[in-house]
Amino acid sequence: MIHYSLAVAVIAAGINLNALADSPPGQVDFGKIAPARGGEFVEIQVKSNLLSLAAQSVEKQQPDVAKLLRSVQLVHVNVIGLTDENRAEMEKRVRQIRHDLDAQGWEQNVTVQQKDGQDIGVYTKTRNGEALAGLVITVFDPKKEAVLINIVGDIRPEQIAALGEKLDIKPLKEVGAALKDAAPKK
Amino acid sequence: MNPSPLPPAIRPPARRLWLWGILAVPLLLLVVLAVGVASCFRLSSDARALRNGLIKSSGVEWRQQIALNAGNLTLGIVRAGLSCARLDPEARAVLQAVRGAEVGVYWLPSGAKSPDRAAMFAAADTTMTARGWDRVVGVMDGRNLVTVYMPGKNVSTHRMKCCVMVFNGSEMVLVSAQANLEPLLEYALNQPALRAKAHLLTQR
Repeated sequence: MIHYSLAVAVIAAGINLNALADSPPGQVDFGKIAPARGGEFVEIQVKSNLLSLAAQSVEKQQPDVAKLLRSVQLVHVNVIGLTDENRAEMEKRVRQIRHDLDAQGWEQNVTVQQKDGQDIGVYTKTRNGEALAGLVITVFDPKKEAVLINIVGDIRPEQIAALGEKLDIKPLKEVGAALKDAAPKK
Repeated sequence: MNPSPLPPAIRPPARRLWLWGILAVPLLLLVVLAVGVASCFRLSSDARALRNGLIKSSGVEWRQQIALNAGNLTLGIVRAGLSCARLDPEARAVLQAVRGAEVGVYWLPSGAKSPDRAAMFAAADTTMTARGWDRVVGVMDGRNLVTVYMPGKNVSTHRMKCCVMVFNGSEMVLVSAQANLEPLLEYALNQPALRAKAHLLTQR
């Protein structure tokens, strides 16, 4: 019986490892986030099938936009409204995600800490030191919300606003604009 | 002793067969028509599963206001019927694009307690994921709950499926549609305003 359980556990572990191995290197699992009672919660997950469909639809008229869309495999946006119930937990969660990204070799490109307490972190991961494999943006605004964004694919932080515009994803547009404002003026 | 000869086989006369045929054809047509009409008031299995999951998890009793289902055949008849009519190009593009649509509207009777939206959200996910759908959008705020699902595989501009659920605190609307997006995209991409916007985007 013990041998049987052990065999099942080993097979299950193997399956889990395979599942992890299948996910692209730029993908980050933010874990299960439950919406707070009465708080706002938005989750958008656009996978490669939809992105390639969007690219296909604009291929002839807008090849540049199609190229941008084809370079992305996944867009995952989480907006969690903060209430007294979940503020401390979400702050801890965001801190943990940033810590994990650091530990997994993600490069922290931008950190913006504003006077009102809003804290933005931008992380990127490269593939073979050349193309970008993924991008993670964490925004923690203690008075309003926490935003977690993961874009898998070869996309630069300055292209986020354009991608948000194209896919009509408001949080992406807003974060893209905030990054633009925070960038040093040339 | 010789065996008694078998009685001759009685064949129905050809006239009787014709009579049966004449009677059966309208009867069959009537059955097909009844099934067709009944299917117009019945949601597809995916939409039904989503509705049942939502209702069960909400923990409250719902009333059905309407459930309509127009398949490709019904919409084909509508398209054929309107082919000669003068329509806006936008409306015609939509009509040509939609291949199937269904809608279900359900409401909470007055005095019913507020349903558990978080549980409804989770149940919707569980049901649809098990049926091969991915949640593309999920929004939950003070009163509203919105989820949008699309098939995890086999998505193309020719065959696009989508299932949307909106709950505003008192009414729940389920809409599922299947479309060929090409006529719609062709129309949209030929609009000068959209072209200008797209051009601006690519210049960023």
